[in-house]
Amino acid sequence: MNVLIVEDEKSLSHEVEIYLTKQGYNCDVAFNGKSASEKIFVNAYDFVLLDIGLPDYNGFDLLKEAREGNRDSAFIILTARSETDDKIKGLDLGADDYLAKPFSLMELHSRMQAILRRKHGLTTNAIRIGEFLMDINNRTVHYGEQLVNLTRKEFDLLHYLALHKNRVLTRMQLTEHIWGDVMEEDYDSNYIDVHIKNLRKKLSAFGGTDWLETVRGIGYRLNQ
Amino acid sequence: MKLQVKLAIYNALSKGIIIAAFGVLMPLIVKQVVYDHIDKRLIARTDRVLMIISKGGINEIIMEQDCSFESYNILKEEFISIEPLSNGTPAPETIIGNEQRDVGGERLTHRVIKQSFVYDNQLYQLNIGEGLSTIYQLNKIIMQFSLTLMIIFIIVSVFIDIGFARLMLKPFNKIVKQKLQLSGNPASYNFDSVKTSTWEFSYLDKSINELMKKTKDAFLIEKEFIANVAHELLTPISILQNRMENMIIGNEVPVEFENKIIESQKTLSRLSKIIRALLLISKIENDQYLKQEDVNLPALVDEVISELEEVMEEKDVHAVLNLEKVPPFGPGNKSLLFTMIFNLVNNAIRYNNIGGHIFIRGTYANNQYILEVEDTGIGIETNQLDNIFDRFKRFGSNDGQGYGLGLPIVKTIADFHRVAIFVSSKRMKGTTFTLKFQITPVA
Repeated sequence: MNVLIVEDEKSLSHEVEIYLTKQGYNCDVAFNGKSASEKIFVNAYDFVLLDIGLPDYNGFDLLKEAREGNRDSAFIILTARSETDDKIKGLDLGADDYLAKPFSLMELHSRMQAILRRKHGLTTNAIRIGEFLMDINNRTVHYGEQLVNLTRKEFDLLHYLALHKNRVLTRMQLTEHIWGDVMEEDYDSNYIDVHIKNLRKKLSAFGGTDWLETVRGIGYRLNQ
Repeated sequence: MKLQVKLAIYNALSKGIIIAAFGVLMPLIVKQVVYDHIDKRLIARTDRVLMIISKGGINEIIMEQDCSFESYNILKEEFISIEPLSNGTPAPETIIGNEQRDVGGERLTHRVIKQSFVYDNQLYQLNIGEGLSTIYQLNKIIMQFSLTLMIIFIIVSVFIDIGFARLMLKPFNKIVKQKLQLSGNPASYNFDSVKTSTWEFSYLDKSINELMKKTKDAFLIEKEFIANVAHELLTPISILQNRMENMIIGNEVPVEFENKIIESQKTLSRLSKIIRALLLISKIENDQYLKQEDVNLPALVDEVISELEEVMEEKDVHAVLNLEKVPPFGPGNKSLLFTMIFNLVNNAIRYNNIGGHIFIRGTYANNQYILEVEDTGIGIETNQLDNIFDRFKRFGSNDGQGYGLGLPIVKTIADFHRVAIFVSSKRMKGTTFTLKFQITPVA
């Protein structure tokens, strides 16, 4: 998977690059619109992560231009600009997703996975977790032939944990993933614990859930 | 009071005063003019009578000596009399004055000239009089007529004045309507000049336009400033957050530091949430959100509740909903309204006691939908009630437990939708937030 990171803030593009490289992506970086435009023209990227607020280029123009030449690339807009219609405009111009800064790298990764699944069906649609089988497309979890009845949030939570298996996910990251921006700035109220508790209860009615580990004081981890 | 009414009243009053003065003065002036006229005639007649006497002798008029003479014309409006005076009486000058006379049982006012003269060593007095009643009557008729005419004139001119003032003030009203009653967003200001031939109004229009241009520029600068601040603050936060994430993911740090990094991430996240909340508030205040949707309020409350179901479960808080049906509220911004109700319900959960209740009532009457969110929680101190919506005072509170920016956001969204919001609270009993939505029913 080839990714182009278009971001004028070098430290930021560096961090994204480190993370995505670790996830197995080939990363290329452009620090301004001009070089981004050239690179998009020359290379075939699966993903273009595009900062709308570039110093030399209107990000939307770049998006439009790049979109016309690259039907296959997926574009994710990254922005700290707070214009209301940016999101709508970006999606109208053919961006596949939109992330507001600051974003979590894991969130970025899971959005990229979702795009892959949506566009190309490239990722596996079924994930095996312990004795359970998770069907991403139909949003169901089965134990053998039996359906485990999960709420939308419980499913999202399990999916997010499965996507980043063997990695501790903090309550903050989980909250941000399933609640988005609506939650206020207090993560001490352990809303996420309730979801996990319910999830464990529902799953353990069928089989073992020892793969779902509580990491004291931090969050949760799905071990496999 | 409206300017055109003031102008009309002023005009009516000034004309009224002139007419009143006229009404008072005219009888006097007319009387004077009439008297002058009569007096002249009387003097002329006296001269003629005296001439006749000096030519033909008094005996032509008076038959016998020591006899007096008196003659009226048929209508008793004029008379001449000559009477001898005893020689001892001092000869009076010519006197002209009004006199009441009994003429055939009638008491009539006459203008009388008295002129004494000597004939044959005998002193006589000549009296010539003219009746005034006809003239008085005429005078009265003229007065009545002219007063009526003037009153009609005033009434007509007041109406004309009102009409004219209205016509003249039309550009002014247009300026007010078009230029000053805007929705609070200077960016959508209409700079077209209002058509008027009145110099003052075009001057006013021009001045307002100039002022609004400055306001608009300032507004755009502020908008840009906010966007820039967002960018400038959120980008470094973004770098820090991603760097910390990488540190944990990459197993670069010993386990004992991991917790500290996670705590730092939380702090960082809080910082970015605060910045976003402030941005949200100023964006709403700057009219950067669209209001285009018709929103079904009870359904929106249901959405909020289902979003918060697990959270309620955690605190064992139970929501009791009683929502009357209501036509859609709009035009509004659904996601903002969602945030507003979400924040209220979220607060009701957060500051509730374990096992507590949340009562959400919606009543629809008189084109108004009243939505109440009541909790059975810890309540808010009375001295803080006034400040809970104020984002600047929130920061100043040193009670240690901030309510965050949730309520200032609620207030901003409510204001944006012209929804009135009230709060009442009893310590340890609970808090009630009341929202009043104006509903325009579909015809």
